[in-house]
Amino acid sequence: MAPATIAVSLSFRLVPPRPCSVRARWLRQIRASSDGNGVANGDRKVGVLERKVGDLRAVVASVPPAVAALRRNIGLNFIAGFCLGITLLAAVARQVISRIHERDNKGSVADLIRRGQLKSGQRGMAKPRVYDDPFNNPLVKIDEGTSTAQVFGKEYRLAPVRLTTEQQAMHQKRRSRTYQWKRPTVFLKEGDSLPPDVDPDTVRWIPVNHPFAAASTEVDEETAKQNVYQKDGVPSRVKAEHEALQTRLEASHDVNILSSSQRNMQRSERQIRLSNESSGQNSLSGIANNQNGQPTLEFEKHSPDNSSQSKSLEEQ
Amino acid sequence: MAFSPRLLPATPPSRCPPPASSRHGGRTAPELSGPTPRVVVVTSGKGGVGKTTTTANLAASLARLSLPAVAVDADAGLRNLDLLLGLENRVHLTAADVLAGDCRLDQALVRHRALHDLQLLCLSKPRSKLPLAFGSKTLTWVADALRRAANPPAFILIDCPAGVDAGFVTAIAPAEEAVLVTTPDITALRDADRVAGLLECDGIKDIKIIVNRVRPDLVKGEDMMSALDVQEMLGLPLLGVVPEDAEVIRSTNRGVPLVLNDPPTPAGLALEQATWRLVERDAMTAVMVEEQERPKKKVGFFSFFGG
Ligand SMILES: Nc1ncnc2c1ncn2[C@@H]1O[C@H](COP(=O)(O)OP(=O)(O)O)[C@@H](O)[C@H]1O
Ligand SMILES: [Mg+2]
Repeated sequence: MAPATIAVSLSFRLVPPRPCSVRARWLRQIRASSDGNGVANGDRKVGVLERKVGDLRAVVASVPPAVAALRRNIGLNFIAGFCLGITLLAAVARQVISRIHERDNKGSVADLIRRGQLKSGQRGMAKPRVYDDPFNNPLVKIDEGTSTAQVFGKEYRLAPVRLTTEQQAMHQKRRSRTYQWKRPTVFLKEGDSLPPDVDPDTVRWIPVNHPFAAASTEVDEETAKQNVYQKDGVPSRVKAEHEALQTRLEASHDVNILSSSQRNMQRSERQIRLSNESSGQNSLSGIANNQNGQPTLEFEKHSPDNSSQSKSLEEQ
Repeated sequence: MAFSPRLLPATPPSRCPPPASSRHGGRTAPELSGPTPRVVVVTSGKGGVGKTTTTANLAASLARLSLPAVAVDADAGLRNLDLLLGLENRVHLTAADVLAGDCRLDQALVRHRALHDLQLLCLSKPRSKLPLAFGSKTLTWVADALRRAANPPAFILIDCPAGVDAGFVTAIAPAEEAVLVTTPDITALRDADRVAGLLECDGIKDIKIIVNRVRPDLVKGEDMMSALDVQEMLGLPLLGVVPEDAEVIRSTNRGVPLVLNDPPTPAGLALEQATWRLVERDAMTAVMVEEQERPKKKVGFFSFFGG
């Protein structure tokens, strides 16, 4: 009994603390066999050995399915991992290829910017070249004596212009016969009736879908003309809107608020109208800065609460 | 004359023989001829022949000569003068806004940051429209207002839209002189002749031609009309002959007019010479032709100004 127990305990000791299920079964079988045979010495030994071999065989026999199971598991994982790897590789390869492709993608705006042909930020910021006489400089040499010119290192013959004043006048006469035209001074929409004071010869009839001029306007001709001629001060429509607002506010007896924020109102109303009209224009001061680089209309500094007040007033 | 032209000062069609070349060398600027501001319309009839390119370069060249210039983009439908001048991000107010009373004229002028004598005015935004009733008078008023300004410009250059409809009528209305841009092909020439006829009917008699996109190699092989052929067909004085030049497209993409290129390019140089003639109201008395007795083809790139 004792040796068997020792063997068992030994075998236990040899076994790692957390054996897998296969090993545990095998150990239990060994323990069972050693427990059952404690009488005859020689026979016992041989019997034990035989049994152990038999057990081992059983164990061995029991192993292949486990290994196969194990192999199946490994196979599945491996395939999954392999696929994942391939996917990653493909993604990386695609990225690399697209980068290379991008480099070759000549002519795109991004590419032009990258090559410095198109500048995203500072387009148009040329520093003026110090010029030479374009008729006489290291690249252009004209020798009137020999009627030759050297330009960009190449020699040219100077062929004199043959056109005479008489020929010129002849061409002019030919054209005046061919093209009889009077420049229209009035544009009218096709289908509109001719105003009584307008000479039909001076009218240019504009198709309704013409992109150039089709909208009706809120300003009359005289106002428009004065707008163009205005040299300083607040532009007329801005002023008119401000005045309209002022009278409206006066009518509502809100004189105190008016006096404190009239300028702000003018500004904020302008802002609202501009942002309604076009997305590009934000505030008048913003426009002035964008367009000319310096403020052209001055407005008083205002606090945010003031402007919101004036806005809410305006919306009344 | 290609290069002796400044000799003839004053009146345009003057064909007097060039005096001695005493004025060559050491000149730093052309002599301004005539009362200012001079209102010049750059037109062509046909589209895509180089009106906008010409306007941008003339304006930039004038500004560099310290001759204040206002470039007006009257091509309301297909405006792109702002792009060529690199000012596309700064156009917020247009002549249409001035008419409506939303801003003053001086506020609608976009001043170039590097060329302080260059200002741009756009007629309208792509989708907004000019008032129909008096739209045709817009530029007349604008030119008049600029004339009365505290610092009137020396030149008002108007980039005319293609065609001869409302846009053309509006663009030529304030002009006193015209630069007629054409390419050496029969379609552009026929349109140019018609436009010249309409301009003359309108009283604009000072018309000069710029022959653009000339390819001396083709001219030499008689596959392309020469500038002299073009002149013979139109019967108008030559302001310049501009070769086909790939740098034109590069300069467009950069938003920097070709005449500012350093080193100079053939087309840029030709446009600069045209500017000098414009300032002096001069015309070419000779054009450059590729040497006939040199049969071997030289580098085509520099062989411009083909006669
Ligand atoms: N001398 C030239 N060489 C090469 N390309 C040119 C030349 N002049 C004009 N172009 C090109 O022709 C096209 C039309 O020019 P543009 O000035 O816009 O014509 P337009 O204003 O008459 O419609 C542009 O793409 C421009 O780059
Ligand atoms: Mg154009």
